[in-house]
Amino acid sequence: MMRGRAPTRDEKRLAWALWVLAFAALWLTESAVGYTRDESVYFIAGESYASWFRQLFQSPARALTDAAIVRAWDYNHEHPVLMKTLFGLSHLLFHTELGWLRSATAFRLPAFAMAALIPALTFLLGSAMYGRAAGLFAAFAFMLVPRQYFNAELACFDVPVAAMWLLVVYCFWRALEDVRWGLWCGVAFGLTLAAKHNALFLPFVLTPFALWRAWSASAGQPEARAWLGRFVGVFAAVAVLYGLLVLSLGGGAGFQRKFLLLSPHTLLFAGLAVGGAWVLRGVDKVNAPVTRALAPIAAMAVLGPVIFYLHWPYLWHQPVDRTAWYLAFHAKHNHYAWFYLNQLLREPPFPLAYVVVKTALTVPTSLFVPMVTGLAALVARMVLGAFERTRAWVERPVTLTEAIVGVNAVASILIISHPQVPHFGGVKHWFPSMVFLGILAGAAVARGCTALWERLKASWPSLPQAAVAAPVFAVLLAPALVSSVRVFPYGTAAYSELAGGLPGAATLGMQRQFWSSHVTGVLPWINANAKQGARLYLHEVHGGSFRDYQRNGMLRPDLRAAGSPADADIVAYQYHQEFREHEFLTWQAFGTRTPVTGLYLDETPQVVVYVRPETR
Amino acid sequence: MTRALPLVELGGLLVVALLCLVFHLRLPGRLPQEADYRAAAQRLQAEARPGDAVLLFPWWTERARLFVPPAIPVYGYLGSDKDDLSAHPRVWVLGQPELPRSDEAGFLETFLPGRRAVGEVSRHGPLTLTLYENGRHRPRRFTATEAYARARVYLEQPDGTRRDCPFDGRAHRCPGPAHLYVAPEWHEILYEPRRCLWMHAPGGKQRLVAELDGVHGGLGLRLEGGIIFEHAFPKDARLSTTHLGVDDAATGAQLLSLAIPPGLEGVQKAETRLPGGAPHTVRVWVQADNADRRQVCLDVLAVEPEVGVRG
Repeated sequence: MMRGRAPTRDEKRLAWALWVLAFAALWLTESAVGYTRDESVYFIAGESYASWFRQLFQSPARALTDAAIVRAWDYNHEHPVLMKTLFGLSHLLFHTELGWLRSATAFRLPAFAMAALIPALTFLLGSAMYGRAAGLFAAFAFMLVPRQYFNAELACFDVPVAAMWLLVVYCFWRALEDVRWGLWCGVAFGLTLAAKHNALFLPFVLTPFALWRAWSASAGQPEARAWLGRFVGVFAAVAVLYGLLVLSLGGGAGFQRKFLLLSPHTLLFAGLAVGGAWVLRGVDKVNAPVTRALAPIAAMAVLGPVIFYLHWPYLWHQPVDRTAWYLAFHAKHNHYAWFYLNQLLREPPFPLAYVVVKTALTVPTSLFVPMVTGLAALVARMVLGAFERTRAWVERPVTLTEAIVGVNAVASILIISHPQVPHFGGVKHWFPSMVFLGILAGAAVARGCTALWERLKASWPSLPQAAVAAPVFAVLLAPALVSSVRVFPYGTAAYSELAGGLPGAATLGMQRQFWSSHVTGVLPWINANAKQGARLYLHEVHGGSFRDYQRNGMLRPDLRAAGSPADADIVAYQYHQEFREHEFLTWQAFGTRTPVTGLYLDETPQVVVYVRPETR
Repeated sequence: MTRALPLVELGGLLVVALLCLVFHLRLPGRLPQEADYRAAAQRLQAEARPGDAVLLFPWWTERARLFVPPAIPVYGYLGSDKDDLSAHPRVWVLGQPELPRSDEAGFLETFLPGRRAVGEVSRHGPLTLTLYENGRHRPRRFTATEAYARARVYLEQPDGTRRDCPFDGRAHRCPGPAHLYVAPEWHEILYEPRRCLWMHAPGGKQRLVAELDGVHGGLGLRLEGGIIFEHAFPKDARLSTTHLGVDDAATGAQLLSLAIPPGLEGVQKAETRLPGGAPHTVRVWVQADNADRRQVCLDVLAVEPEVGVRG
């Protein structure tokens, strides 16, 4: 499969079925999942943003003032707001207005919808590339990774941005065959920018493929080649002019200060849009495949910033300064302590192999190995196919689509592997890669199933391929399913068989958990045993989460939040290597080193509960 | 050959998956039940003597704290395999050698030198409980954390002028910021829980001093201390080296000293032999030009030599 193709009716049905299955599974299981530190922040943000929409409905003129916008949208302005707005509106509709869902479920619903896109789209792309079996395996391969399933439950951005990244790539791929998808690619890119900043890397990943395709499609057609040159020229000229503008204005600060609605800055952007459109119209007259290759890039360049600006009211009155602040925040993000192979990583440079090692130790091994063989086979075909002497060894050359999938499978991993990039957050920052690694795993499994089926067909001619694929899938997916069920809902504690599970990972010196959501494991004990009105110190649990546990009926409403062990009657300490001092402060405050209960997953301490002796 | 590759690959994938399933099937049997812990705790309750300690293997298996009788200290921290546990003449090792990646041989290689197993290993499900005679035990004749209430504590300027830090029944509190006091507390020094004397450096050239009487002569005098929690890690140039010392109050001679520059983590130790004769009075002090992140916790001990193992 060289270029994009529309799904067949059966593929569409299966994709919908996968979407519904994933959405339903996430919805049915979410109530057990605790509220991560970030999630409760996004709950608050979502409510605040939703309140602005109420105001917009009731008093539009006032709502559109900067003061009203800042009042509602200033909270958590370090992230764009597409997902938080959806969380907030869903909460407003399904909890506040209709009362159909508990508060947390209503917030999380849009996250499920977005996460469910991953198996559906993965199936469509995988099926088009390697057949239905590969697509199906890829779809399950993402959702059965315990950490990925856990993150899919959360009203956060990491799984949604992986889904959006996949959507952009899917649109890009479809655009290679149908130019209208180029426009959708631009829209999807804008929405991805609105989901999380990972999207900023997408143009760098996809543009080389667009140019490669345009270059090969224009071979032997000088006029088309000339238009391709003009396309590159327009973008290069705008980039150079922006560079000169920065220099002439005395650097980034001057550039930012002089960036007004009517300024050379916006003029250059308009020039890019007009120039890009002019080139696309021109090239379309001589070579449609070149147009289809370039249209997504032009659409991303133009629609991306426009949608990003429009989706975020916080930017409407002060787009430049507030966007600059947002970008600077992520360029200089804090480094949180992170335990890795018995070392507490606190600051860069971080180990180059971190991402690969962490992936190997957390993705169920029966899924990780086909990911590796799938990627290795693709790379081997690419390398062998590049040389005259070895080309014959390759059954079929690597297609453009395969190259796109292969590069996307490693792009996020390579970006996060950079030793200066923050390394906290487990595996969530390279989820976009995992989607594509799943497709390559599907390819590896499917080619084995096909080979086995062909061998068996010699003896049983009527043997359907599914009769081979189904048991193979069952064997390969079963360990991941067992692992997922075993660790659920404590997803940040999931470790693979290669690690030796959670006990093996603890001995290896890996971070056992983070984000505080495992506290749900001790809340029933606290509810049953805490004295009326007891002061409760939930270590690492965000104040908003404390409120959310009470709001959603998971924590008794009479219990009061305490700020430290010294002020508390009960302490639930989250076992982190970097926070050992907090447990010893509890020993000091309570005069005992003996906990009363705890959450111990496969023996590893996760949350340890102490009670002040005089209040027992 | 190339046609066989997918089959070989699939075969490999299936073998891996089956091994994974075996791993999951075996794992529950390698984990102790509550009854196993209770049985081990019963043996400890019956056989442990005052001064005994429990060491966890692997170091992180802290669920045991729920069950071990509270009177017996439990050690289990990153690095505890190497701990001399010198305060304890006997050590019970509560082990889980069947856990994935448990390296019992590696543990024993670190733990065994200077120690000898006493009696038989008892097994409680996958738990093992073994008593060891601790040849690294050093009987303690004096510890500052126990004698702190009798100390005279003051802030001392370089010219010798002093401001007293009166004892309020719990701590010796100094004039100035609330963190300037001396009292024994639990703190972390590079993952290790230590009950030690909180002596935050006061800043500038002045010293926080605790004067302690009754330190036996003719023994090893040890100073052990460090910067607690995450504060030891930063190497920021604005931070300054912390100096810890022990002087002989009678002669003014410096007996022990430690310098802890920014970035130096862990417990730092120094030892000297205190001359025999009448009990000594020592001045334990802390000083750092910049007091920021110089949260010191220390102990001063008078200890006998290692007892070694018998037989």
